[in-house]
Amino acid sequence: MIPLTYNVRSLLVRKTTTVATALGIGLVVFVLASAFMLGTGITKTMVGAGRGDNAIVLRKGSDTEMASSLEVKTLGLIGAAPGVKRSDAGGALLSGEVVLVIAQDKLGTDGQISNVLVRGVPETAMQVRPEVHVFAGHAPRSGTDEVIIGKGLRGKYAGMDLGGSFDLKKNRPVHVVGIFESGGSSFESEVWCDVDTARSSFGRDGLVSSVTVRLDSPTKFDAFKATMESDKRLGLEALTETGYYEKQSSGTALFIKIMGGVIVFFLSGGAMIGALITMLAAVSQRQREVGTLRALGFSRFSILTSFLLESAVLSLAGGLLGIACAFCMSFVKLSMMNFATWQEVTFSFDPNPAVLVGSLVFGGLMGILGGFYPAVRAASVSPIEAMRD
Amino acid sequence: MGLVTIAVRNIWRNKLRTALTLSAVTVLVIFFLLLRTVIWSWTASAEQASQDRIGTRHKVSFIMQLPARYVEEMRSIPGITKVAHASWFGAKDPNHTDDFFSTIAVEPKPFLEVYDEIKVPKDQVEAWAQDRQGALVGDVLAKKRGWKIGQKIVLQGTIYPGDWEFHISGIYTADSPTVDRSTLWFQYKYLDESRPPRLQDQVGWIMARIDNPGRAAEIAKAVDKKFEDRDIQTLSMSERALQASFLGMVSAILRLIDIVSIVMVLIMGLILGNTIAMGVRERTHEYGVLRAIGFLPKHIVIFILSEGLFLGMLGGVIGLAIGYPFVQKGMGPAMEENLGAFFAFFRVTPELVVISFLLAAGLGLVAAIIPARTASKLEVVSALRRVG
Amino acid sequence: MSEAEKGASKGTMISLEKVRKSFQRGREQLDVLAGLDLKIEEGSFEALMGPSGSGKSTLLNLIAGLDQPTSGKVIIGGADVGAMNEGQRANWRASNIGFVFQTYNLMPVLTAVENVELPLLLAKLPAAERRKRAEIALRAVGLEDRGGHLPSQLSGGQEQRVTIARAIVTDPKIIVADEPTGDLDRHSADEILKLLEKLNTEFGKTIVMVTHDPAAAERAKTVHRLDKGVLAN
Repeated sequence: MIPLTYNVRSLLVRKTTTVATALGIGLVVFVLASAFMLGTGITKTMVGAGRGDNAIVLRKGSDTEMASSLEVKTLGLIGAAPGVKRSDAGGALLSGEVVLVIAQDKLGTDGQISNVLVRGVPETAMQVRPEVHVFAGHAPRSGTDEVIIGKGLRGKYAGMDLGGSFDLKKNRPVHVVGIFESGGSSFESEVWCDVDTARSSFGRDGLVSSVTVRLDSPTKFDAFKATMESDKRLGLEALTETGYYEKQSSGTALFIKIMGGVIVFFLSGGAMIGALITMLAAVSQRQREVGTLRALGFSRFSILTSFLLESAVLSLAGGLLGIACAFCMSFVKLSMMNFATWQEVTFSFDPNPAVLVGSLVFGGLMGILGGFYPAVRAASVSPIEAMRD
Repeated sequence: MGLVTIAVRNIWRNKLRTALTLSAVTVLVIFFLLLRTVIWSWTASAEQASQDRIGTRHKVSFIMQLPARYVEEMRSIPGITKVAHASWFGAKDPNHTDDFFSTIAVEPKPFLEVYDEIKVPKDQVEAWAQDRQGALVGDVLAKKRGWKIGQKIVLQGTIYPGDWEFHISGIYTADSPTVDRSTLWFQYKYLDESRPPRLQDQVGWIMARIDNPGRAAEIAKAVDKKFEDRDIQTLSMSERALQASFLGMVSAILRLIDIVSIVMVLIMGLILGNTIAMGVRERTHEYGVLRAIGFLPKHIVIFILSEGLFLGMLGGVIGLAIGYPFVQKGMGPAMEENLGAFFAFFRVTPELVVISFLLAAGLGLVAAIIPARTASKLEVVSALRRVG
Repeated sequence: MSEAEKGASKGTMISLEKVRKSFQRGREQLDVLAGLDLKIEEGSFEALMGPSGSGKSTLLNLIAGLDQPTSGKVIIGGADVGAMNEGQRANWRASNIGFVFQTYNLMPVLTAVENVELPLLLAKLPAAERRKRAEIALRAVGLEDRGGHLPSQLSGGQEQRVTIARAIVTDPKIIVADEPTGDLDRHSADEILKLLEKLNTEFGKTIVMVTHDPAAAERAKTVHRLDKGVLAN
């Protein structure tokens, strides 16, 4: 086997060409990793809001909480269904919520309006969603105009900070008494207020948008779903919370992944050709060298693998740079519209190790594919070349 | 024969390398066309949205409805010439539940007066106005679903549950990029009469034509002022402002795409620069001979820059020759049909064609600058010493 | 009037006086030529010979105006070439010197006649005139029927002949040749040397040739031997 140092030294000798090609591949790896980091970041944010042992009940046919509307009297029915966990006090762990999207002036833009999701919640909400945790201030008291906001909203809209206030609608000011976080999920882009405040502000008397219940365990979901959907008159539909959020985010996440895929398809095509050009030139320049190696007794196969390794080293070097930069993207936060709910959600680039490693491998593959034909050319050089002029 | 013609011929010295470089440039040019058209397609709707129409919605949330009587009241506001209302319905085709398209309830004639980019034959308009369950369907949607005039279809409501039957009264088309040709417009009275009393006499939003586009912001403010003290307030803005605010919400994606465009330009530049530099290095002795004969460093620079420029230009031309039909005739209609909600109009603008060509040519030129300077600075004697 | 300038008016074409050429190699200064004097008459055919590193190529470069001496005078055809800057020397070379190098003289993408036309591009002659002169030059070297061929379609000897045609197309006074026969077989080499002789005797060109080839040296009228930067005779 030809030692790897031969390849590394050869690469270093043609510094400019090596750097140019490695950079090209690095750029593609960067884009690939970033796109998929965003895709998984979106899924993580959206799906992170859901629990496997929570179920959400909507009106049949509605895709989102916002389009759904249930009468308050169904709450009792839902709470009595099999599988619903009971709290220590004996009541059902159930949260009937009023969900709306309202227009708010975005700070730092020229009067640009953006959509913020407002969730009117009962006291049981925090029990049903224990991952929601108020870290500054305190939880709102029921029946008041106190609200808490997710940390993703902080400072983005007028009045949305601890101690601030803004209008839910005209003459309906609310006061921000707390900020909550929920492990990076989409809840962090929501405003939570008292459910009755929401009802009366938005004319939803006697109604809720959705009902979220905690089940004894994820296995109880099927029975629960069957009960919910058995009475056709009620027109209910039940999903696991994770299932619901997966549906919500799939559109956006898929969109990003497809776009990322298309982008990488084209860019990698270009970068691979770049690697091909570089390795071809290297091979033709080193004809005599290769001829000498053959004359010395190295087999065609060892030459082939040697040049393939050289391409791999070249592209992995670029790829490493690419994922290093992609990793830096994980500190960037993106505010984007969730196409399913029309609300603006803060997403981040998830530094998923699988994505990073996968992108690096892809980079290496790019180099090997691009360098394959040149490696074959090198392997077919005969020892006589060593003696030529 | 001149330096430039020799430079152009030099491009074919290493046929394989040139072919590879050109194919890389071609791939990237096609990609550039695709990318910029995606952005254009999104932003065109904002830029070309009319200034002579304003939209009025519930101030608090676009989910909430306005009282129907507001429509009449708006007619009296100075500057407003025509008014029509629309209400979002939200429905799915039970046979294709994953395919999204818009369903909106309107009053046929007032709606078409305000929204006159929509082109429908007069007889179809009449048929629609006469039929309570009539629907006007966009030509892209009709083609996709195979719907014909006179056909009866059933859709499932998402906000108003149940099965809703519609009769296809007409198929519309439009030549403005702002119009979504995949929408189903139906009769407001069909929706209003079918919903519970407490939800009746409400509309989703109100559109109005104004006499002076320059006064759009003013008139919008006047509308909001009129309803300021009511229980339900309004938020009005020109259609262009509305579209711009939608774009604002996806601005992050647009910025990301811009970054990708820059990455692409960098990659193209690296490949072109690399190829040119390699060629220059291999021809050092030749440049030495030219200098010996009496050519000056500046001639060598012109030589190399011309080569880079022509390489870029050639790549640009080939890329456009393949890319333009691909995006315009191939992808365009496919995008409009399948992703019509996002890309109502997916076309390559003439400006983009020119920009793409200039980009490729310019990159070829710029990429040749450093190799040209290095070559010209070399002493004649050193250049002659290099062999091959 | 210095000796050199007096010599120039008497038919001396090339005059080097106390010429030194040093190169900087890191910290060391290498003196390749150390105070050399040389006179070459108009119409001479001189060969420069010597072992590797003797400085013969350096000397040739100075004579050809390709390089500047570190000190001393280089007067060629009455012009103080040694004192010119690079731009001036380039212009001077264009009309005064014809070049024949050992290999890779011709541009592969140009035909024989186009290669010969190259120096005329600098003279800014119209295309028809350039073509005419190039063809005349090609006829002088016996390749008038090969004008449309690319260098890849010519033999080594033919390539060198085209090179010579290019060297004379501007009608320069001096032809400088650096190992013109180095890459050729015996037969082609003889052809080239015969051609150079003809240029010298029939057309009165002054020829200065660096060579290793004893046969080439024989054709020359005078042979200078260089060793460590010093002329032997």
